[in-house]
Amino acid sequence: MRQITYKIERSDGAKSFVAAYSFPYQPGKTVLWGLITIKETIDPTLAFTASCRSAICGACAVRVNGQALLACETPLDAMLERFGDTLTIGPIQNFKVIRDIVVDWEAKTKHLTESKTWLIPKDEFNALQGCHQSAADFKQINTQASCILCGSCASECAKLTASDQDFLEPFTYSKVWKLVADTRDKSAPERLKAILDKGLWKCMHCVECVTKCPKGLAPGEDIARLRRLSIKLGYTNSIGAGHAIAFRKDIEDTGRLNEIKLTLRSIGLLGSIAKFPLALRLLRRGKLNPFHFPGKVKGHAQIQAILKAVRESDQK
Amino acid sequence: MKYAFFPGCVLEGAAKENYVATTTIAKELGIELVEIDGWTCCGGSHLQDVDELGATAVNARNIALAEKMGMPLLTVCSTCTLMLRKAKANLDNGQLEQINKILSTGGIRYNGTSDITHLLWVLIRDYGLDRLKERVKRPLTGLNVAAYYGCHILRPPGIMNLEDHANPKSLEKIIYALGATSVDFGAKLKCCGFHATYTASEDMIRITGETAKSAVASGANCIVTPCPLCQMSLDMNQPEGQAVVGCNQEMPVLHLSQLVGLALGFSPDQLGMNMHIAGRELTKEIIANM
Repeated sequence: MRQITYKIERSDGAKSFVAAYSFPYQPGKTVLWGLITIKETIDPTLAFTASCRSAICGACAVRVNGQALLACETPLDAMLERFGDTLTIGPIQNFKVIRDIVVDWEAKTKHLTESKTWLIPKDEFNALQGCHQSAADFKQINTQASCILCGSCASECAKLTASDQDFLEPFTYSKVWKLVADTRDKSAPERLKAILDKGLWKCMHCVECVTKCPKGLAPGEDIARLRRLSIKLGYTNSIGAGHAIAFRKDIEDTGRLNEIKLTLRSIGLLGSIAKFPLALRLLRRGKLNPFHFPGKVKGHAQIQAILKAVRESDQK
Repeated sequence: MKYAFFPGCVLEGAAKENYVATTTIAKELGIELVEIDGWTCCGGSHLQDVDELGATAVNARNIALAEKMGMPLLTVCSTCTLMLRKAKANLDNGQLEQINKILSTGGIRYNGTSDITHLLWVLIRDYGLDRLKERVKRPLTGLNVAAYYGCHILRPPGIMNLEDHANPKSLEKIIYALGATSVDFGAKLKCCGFHATYTASEDMIRITGETAKSAVASGANCIVTPCPLCQMSLDMNQPEGQAVVGCNQEMPVLHLSQLVGLALGFSPDQLGMNMHIAGRELTKEIIANM
C-alpha cells in the first residue's frame, strides 16, 4: 500500500528534532488531514493549531518543503505531485516556536497594536448612526479586508528573515494601507508618518508575501501604495524615496540609469564615499566606468511626452 | 529564432560582462538578438514606488517597440522581465485604453502582439534542451553547480509562469544538459537583497555571505543565476558578506549565459568572467583542467 511520510520539524521550545511519520495514502485529502491522522493514530504528542478547516481562521499555516500555506485548504495530492511522497513540514518562519508547529503570535500582535490597526472613525460618524461607507469605497479595500492573519506572508519575507528589528510583518503594512485608504478613517496622515519609521522602505521586493498569501492579498503592493502616498505627501527625505525618485529622474532625463548618479541621488555624497572600497573593487574589474554617461536614448522626446501625459493623468 | 533584445541598464553598467556572454552564446546557438533601438530603463522594481502609472507606461512603450519589430521581447534580467510582464498584464487586463491614450502623446501604440521572455525560458521552451545538449563542445563534467533562481524569475507566479515557483527545475535541467552536476542548495529560492542595497544594506551583506556559505556547504564549485542583479550582488558584496558570516572560501557566481558559454567551448575571459570579483581564478582553474 502506498505510504505517505511527513518529516516534521518538531521542537519542545528549546530543543529541535525531526520526526518522521508514515501513514497510508488516501486520495482527495488535505495536508491538515495528514497532521490529524498522525496525531490520532500515531503520536498524540504532536502539537499544531487548526480550527475552521475552511481557510477562514488562519490557524493552520505551516511550511511544506519550505513553502508557507494553509494546511486545511491545500490538497495533499497537489503537494505529493510537487514534492513526492515524503513531505517536510515545519512551523512558519520568522515566528518564535512554542512547540512543534505551534508559533507565538505575541510579538506580531504587538506590532499590530502599535500600528493601531483598527478604525479611527471620522468625526462625522457617531455610535448611533454608525460608520457608513459606499459599496464602491469598500471595494477599494475589500482585498486587504480579507486578511485572516495566518502569517504565511511573514513566514517567507526575506527582510524579516534577515532582521526583524526594523521591519514589520507584511500583513501589518497591508492592514495599515487598508485603514489609510478607508474612507471612514480619519488618521491617514498620522498612520503614514508612523509607518515611515517602521521600515517602510526596507522591503526587499522578494515578492514572497504576494506569492504566499492564501487570500489573494499583495502586501508588497500595499507597501508600494504606502510609499507612493508618502512621497505625494512630501516625505521624500529618505534613502528609499530618494532611490525611487532617482529612477524616475534618470528615465526622464536620458531614458536609462546612470549608476554613479543613481548612487549619489540615493545615498548622497557621504554615503557614496562610504561605498568607496566597493567602487574601487568594481573600477579595478572594469565594472564601473566613471566616464560613462549614457546619452539620451532614441525616442527620448517620446518618453518625455509619455511621462508628461502620465503626470496629467495622475492629476485628474 | 529571432528576438527583440532588451539588455536592461545593468548590462550597460556593472554587469556588462553578461552582455558579452549573452550575445556570444546567442550567436553560437543561432539565436538572433536584435537590440531594441531606444529601449529605456524598466524601472528596476523601484519606479512603481513613486509612479505606478509611469512604470506601466514606459514599459508599454518598450513592448510597443518590440511589437514594431514583429518579434517577441527577450531580456536576461529577472527584474526587467517582471517589470515588463507586469506592465503587459496590466495592459491586457483593463489598462489598455488608458495607457494607449498616454502612449499616443508620443505617437506610439501597444497592441499586445509581442510576448515577454527571458533567456532561461527561451533555452528551455524555444531552443530545447536536446538541441542545447547537441551544441555542447566542452561538457562541464565534474563541475558542481548551485542553481540560484532568486525572486523575480519565479515570483509572483501569476505573472512569472514558466514553471512551478515552489519547485522549479529549469536551471537544474540546463546544468545537467551542459554536463555539469546540480548540487542540493538551501538558498536556491532565496532573495539576494539587491533591491534593498541602500535601505537595508547590512541585511543584504549578511544575505550575500550566507548564500555563499550555503553554496560552499553544498559542495558547489560555483553558483549560477539567471539574474544579473543577483549575480552582481552575490559577487561584488562577497568580501564583506564572507567577513560577516565567517566564510573564507570564495564562491564564484556565474551568469546563466556564462555557464552555457563555457560548455559551448568559450574561455572564461571570452565570457567576461575576468570582470568578476569572487573566485575568478577558481573557475579558470577548473575549466582549464576539463
